[in-house]
Formats: sequence, C-alpha cells, structure tokens
Amino acid sequence: MTKTDWPQVRQQVGDIEKIEVLVGIPTFNDAGTVGPVVKAVKAGISKVCPRASVLVVNADAGSQDGTPETIKHAMEPDTPTAFVRHLEGGLLSGPISLQAFSESGVPGRELAFRAFFTIAEDLQAKACVVVDANLQSFTSDWMEALLHPVIEKGVDYVAPLFRRARYEGTLTNCIIYPLSRALYGKQMRYQSGGGYGFSGKLASLYMTKNVWEGEGARYGIDSWLTTVAVAEGCEVSQGFLGTRIQDVKLTGMELSVVLAQRVGALFHLMEVYQEVWEGRMGSSPVPQFGFPYEPGPVGGAVNVERMVRGFQQGLRDLLPIWEIILAPETLAGILALGLLEAEEFRFPEALWVQTIYDFALAYHEKALHREHLLKSLTPLYLGQTASLVLGTREGPPEDVERAIETLCRTFESMKPYLTQRWRFP
Amino acid sequence: MSTMWQEAMLEAFRETTLRIAHFLPKLLALLTFLALGLAAGWLIKVLLLRLLRAFRFDALCERFGLGPSLAKAGTKQSISHLVGRLSFWLVFLLFALMGIDALDLTATANMMSGIIDFLPHTLAAVLLLLFGVLLANFIAEAALIATVNAQIQEARIISSFIRWGVLIFTAAMVLTQLGIAKEIIVAAFSIMFGGVMLALAIAIGLGGQSIAKDVLEQRLHRGNVKQDEMSHI
Repeated sequence: MTKTDWPQVRQQVGDIEKIEVLVGIPTFNDAGTVGPVVKAVKAGISKVCPRASVLVVNADAGSQDGTPETIKHAMEPDTPTAFVRHLEGGLLSGPISLQAFSESGVPGRELAFRAFFTIAEDLQAKACVVVDANLQSFTSDWMEALLHPVIEKGVDYVAPLFRRARYEGTLTNCIIYPLSRALYGKQMRYQSGGGYGFSGKLASLYMTKNVWEGEGARYGIDSWLTTVAVAEGCEVSQGFLGTRIQDVKLTGMELSVVLAQRVGALFHLMEVYQEVWEGRMGSSPVPQFGFPYEPGPVGGAVNVERMVRGFQQGLRDLLPIWEIILAPETLAGILALGLLEAEEFRFPEALWVQTIYDFALAYHEKALHREHLLKSLTPLYLGQTASLVLGTREGPPEDVERAIETLCRTFESMKPYLTQRWRFP
Repeated sequence: MSTMWQEAMLEAFRETTLRIAHFLPKLLALLTFLALGLAAGWLIKVLLLRLLRAFRFDALCERFGLGPSLAKAGTKQSISHLVGRLSFWLVFLLFALMGIDALDLTATANMMSGIIDFLPHTLAAVLLLLFGVLLANFIAEAALIATVNAQIQEARIISSFIRWGVLIFTAAMVLTQLGIAKEIIVAAFSIMFGGVMLALAIAIGLGGQSIAKDVLEQRLHRGNVKQDEMSHI
C-alpha cells in the first residue's frame, strides 16, 4: 500500500486518529485457518493490553476462498478492522514473480508489510504485531510474547523463536544465523515467519528503507526484517512461541529457490550495511521472553545419502562454476571431500565458513549472474547438512545445538577473511 | 616523318603526364584516407576501450559466460580488447574504401555503395551472434544448475544440448541475416530440428522410458517419492 491508498483505509477506520496497537494479518486463501488465529489474537489483546486502542488490519493478496469475509465474521463488530487488498487476483496480477512467493505462502508479502507499516505510521501506533494466518498452533500466548516486550520493556523488535525438531531449519542454522551473528554481532536465531512484534518507531524506520522494490523486495521480506533491526542498532529481542505448525501451501517449493531467497537477502543487505558489519567483532546475546523450550525431537526422516549424492553431483557438474566463485584453497578443500564415502562424509567447519564467505565475496564482485551464484550453493549446503546430521545423529539433541554454536564461533573467528577481501579483492 | 615522330612522342608524353597529373591527387587522397583511417580507428578504439572499462564490460561478459566461451575457443585477449580491435579495423576499412573510391577505378566503381549497403546486415549479424552466444551460455548455465539441484544425473548432457540448440539456432539466424544460402539454411535447420526432435522422441520412447517415468513420477507424485521430510528454513 502506498500513501495514495490511505484514504480507502481511512474510510474504513472511521474517526480513529490514533491507535496504540496495530495487528497485521497477511492472508492468501487462508479461510481454513484464519478464524482461530483471529480469535486467539483477540484473546491475546484482552490479556496483554485490554484497555489499549487496537486496529486489526488484514492485507489480502487476492484470496478466492473468502478469507476476508471469514475474518469479518470472526471479529466482533466493535473491534476496528480494516481490509487492504494489496494484490488483486493473487499470482495472476501485478508485476510479481514467483521469486516473491516466499515460503510463507503469501504472494507479495512485502506489500502486506508495507501496508501495515504505513497505517501504523499514520495512526502513530506504539506497537505493531504481524501474525501469519496459516498457523495451526497460534495461541493467545503468542500475542503476549510478541507484544509485551514492545509495550512494557521498550523493545523495538521481537523475533519469533520456535521449538524445532532436531534438524529443522538447517538453512537458518548453518548459514543465516551464523553469518548474521558474525556480521552484526547479535545472537538472533533468525527464525522467520509466524509472528513478529515491532515498535512504532521501527515501523517508521522500515518505511524509510529502500527495500520495498527492486532487488531487496525480490528476496522476500522475512530475512531483512531482522537484519535491518539488528544492523540499525534497534533494541531487539526474541519471543519463545512454542511449536510452529503451519498450513503450508508450498510444500513443492524448490530448496534452491528458498536458499537463493534467504541467502540472497543476507548478501544483498551486506552491501547496504557494509559500514556497519565491517566494524563489529564478536557477538552478544539478546533478551529472550516467554518460556524457553528444550531442543525438539528427532523429527522427520533425513535422507543423508541423497544429500551426499547431491553434493557429489555438484562437485562433478558444477566445478566450472565453483571455480569462478571459490578461492583456490577453498576449492582444493572441497575437491578432497569428493573422495569420502557417504558414512565418513564430514564438511570441516572452517572450510564451510570459507565457502560461505567466498560466495558472499563473489556476490559482491558480481562474478556470476547472482541467481545462478546463489542456486549453485545448494549442493554445498546439502553437503554441510549431511555432515551435521552424520556428526550428531548418534548423540543427544543438545549435540546439534553445540555443533551450531561451534560453527557460529568459527564464523566469528574467521570474519577477517571476509573483511580483508571485501574491500580489496 | 620526323615531325610526325616528334608529335607522336610529345602526344604520348603529354597524355602520360596528364594521366599522372590526374592520378597523383587521387593517390594522395587514398594515402590521406589511409592515414586518417589509422588515426580515426585508433581514436575510436581508445575511446571505446575507456567506455567499456567504465561500464565494466569485461566483468559483465564474464557474468554471462562470454569470457569463458572465448577462452575455450583459444582467445586470450579480453572481450573489450577484441571489441576495440574490431572497431579499429572497421573504421580503417571504411576509410580505406573511401580512398579506393577516390581512385575512381572502373573495377571498384560500385564496390563502395555495395559494401555500405551490406554494412547494416553485417552489424545486425554481429549483434545477433553476440546476443545468441550470451543467451546460449546463460540458459545452459541456468539449466545445468537447475538439473544438478534436481539431482538429474544427465545434467551436463541436458545443458550442452540446450547450449548447442541455441547456438545452432543463432548460426542459422546469422547466416539468414547475411543472406548466405538463405533457402539452404532454412531447409537444413528445419530438417535438423525435426530430426533432433524425432531422435529425442525415439530415444525417450525406446531407451529412456524409465528415466521419463521417474521424472514424471517425481513431478506428479512428489508425496510418493522418498524425500527429506525436514524443513530447511
């Protein structure tokens, strides 16, 4: 939503001039799950801030299953609600590519966030919460975890923290989290989707950033919400939300596309915040709210042999591309991994860190078409994931956390490798 | 008798002197055009090189795989240098043709206009060739990465097939643009394209049944294929 659409929203909210809390719900064909989510939102608000003036905003991407009507039914008439249809006709309209179809299942998700932040800014909201409508595990406690730190503790940003199965979120754990932590010095897990809490100040700050269109928007919004908050030095925290069970429509989304979106967002913001991350060393923990959870159970089946095969095929077929991206010593280390049997396969931490840094440098130097570069990382990522699984599957769940922590420390200790080459390739 | 001899001698001398007097300025014009061509060619080359460097043309070509393609073909110079050299010789050729035209020779009377008429076709063909090579490399690279990520074992064969398909299509378009054996090219391309498609159909029908079956099963029944159940995000 842009400023020109504001009068349409204005009409819906009547004479409300100022609000304290804005609740944003981005939707796309979520009629099956949005009802309970809305009820939990209402229950959460009455628990956390019963006397606050609240506006619920639904930004719909052109649902065909009556999602906005379901929200209308679920809301009580006295709760102010506004509806923004940011993408008529879903995927079939507007200049939107499948790239923008993030794993959240909502096309043009960044447009929904833009609408929430615009309204929050215009109505001078003190706090803003955004929750996904396709959640089956959403409870009123989530509202408390996301809203309470912003209202009571003066926190600017609350990121979600979920109880995950043992090997869930390996992309986050092996690349996004360690790299972001090493770059910006905050121990944020960078788990995305589900729900976020923002202060009004941060919502206004997001509106000033040039990420809504072009390259930034192409990678999806979830990654940069956290990165911008951390890089801009805002008060950040994490809220324990329990288990995330989503009604995911995009089960068929290619791993390489997800990887390109998420890692691409991080690399893109490395260019934007070069001055910030170059000067930061080490990392510090961030406050956490809610009830902490133990590491999750083993979870779904993990086909390690298939991952190792994927890595070996990459080594065989993508070598000419990796030769352009990787430094000779990194490539030599990776070539040696090709000789290992599936059961003995281990990706040394330092080599993995060097690989990611080389990819970041190649992205920066535009050594290759960027989408090709990002997607060619997939076999290497499969190798790293296989290595993590093989190294920890016999031990207790805490072993995975320990392995991730060690990896994060390696990313931090090897940061000079990146900074030295970034400016003087 | 001697008077006639003298007159004949003088006439021949006059004629020759006159011809030389007529030809010398033309020769001088040719030499001037050649010198100007050298200078203008050099100037254009230098300016073009600077412009290409400013726009990081070599890095751009590297990104689209043109650099590695030329390296494979044995070219050791950078692409901006090649473009610079090409521009030099193009400008020099233009001036040389003007010089030859200035000689006013019967044999080269229509050459200049013929060449100038053909120049747009040549330029279009060069651009077409450049675009075709870039496109072939780009699509082949994208296909290679996508097929490797999908763990299709024949990734390199598929990628090469796509690259050569685009290159052959480009070559046919370039030759048609240049007007070289237009009918033969169109016929040859049609026969070859049809032949390749038929060969593919037969290959999949007879030899690659299982591969086609596997691929279709993977695409249409993802749930039945044993895959990782973990979420990577």
